[in-house]
Amino acid sequence: MATTDGTTIIGESILISGSLTGDEDLTVRGRVEGTLTLTRTLVVEPTGMVKAEVQVKNCIIAGIVVGNVTATESVEITKEGRMVGDIAAPRVIIVDGASFRGRIDMGEVDVGTERRVQGATARSALPARPSLRPSAPARAPQRSEAKKAEAPATQPVRPSAQPVRPSTPPAPVAMGSVKRKVIVKTKK
Amino acid sequence: MAGIEKAGAPRSGAHTVIGSSIVIDGEISGDEDLVIQGTVKGRIALKESLYVEASGVIEADIETANVEVSGQVTGNIAASDKVELKADCKVVGDIRSPRILIADGAVFKGNVDMDVKEAKGK
Repeated sequence: MATTDGTTIIGESILISGSLTGDEDLTVRGRVEGTLTLTRTLVVEPTGMVKAEVQVKNCIIAGIVVGNVTATESVEITKEGRMVGDIAAPRVIIVDGASFRGRIDMGEVDVGTERRVQGATARSALPARPSLRPSAPARAPQRSEAKKAEAPATQPVRPSAQPVRPSTPPAPVAMGSVKRKVIVKTKK
Repeated sequence: MAGIEKAGAPRSGAHTVIGSSIVIDGEISGDEDLVIQGTVKGRIALKESLYVEASGVIEADIETANVEVSGQVTGNIAASDKVELKADCKVVGDIRSPRILIADGAVFKGNVDMDVKEAKGK
């Protein structure tokens, strides 16, 4: 026999639309549309085109695949391969020259623990800055109120400061910067 | 196994093989020979030959040029050239083709129509 057992070949001019399931290797040189479920390896050859939800053990893409691919072992996109869709597999190989658009999910990844550590340090650094800023304005009004209550001498100082403001800040951006500077001064 | 070897000779040009563990539910169409060892449900439309091997099970309407059945077919067969029911095959459905061969040992239930006017080609 020209064909070996355990291998199915879809020839170049063949179009299969619908669902395809099986427990053997499948080589696609033609077109398959719909759903494709195998317990073994799917090979999409350069002439092959698969527009389907694919669930396989291994997947080698040298042709065109449009749709989501879920593999229990690996997905490989060769240099001739083109794919649009999401990949879910523990091993994903995309070689130079391959084109791919979509998401990749490799499941529980060891790198994830390192990312968490990095994320934790980044998070601890970020909230530190905002926590300082709210505390500064909170102190400032308290002190200004305290100054108001303490002496009326502070009031003549403010009118003197007001005529200066319109001359110095021409732009609203400068106003903001001035305000910040004032807050810093009140801190000290 | 003798039947498989006999069927192997004209299959040399076949590029498409549906393996024994494969189940297809839907439509198959194409311009080349197709060998089916597995299961196909739905519809098969080819311009060349269809070989249903002993392990093949088809529940589909078939439109091809040639059909060789060694396995099971449930559905109507329309061939523009020839339908051959080999020994040990089981076919349930209507057959329409200018040439129909039924071998000794084949099981067939259905209508046979050899009227050539609808079958194009030969």
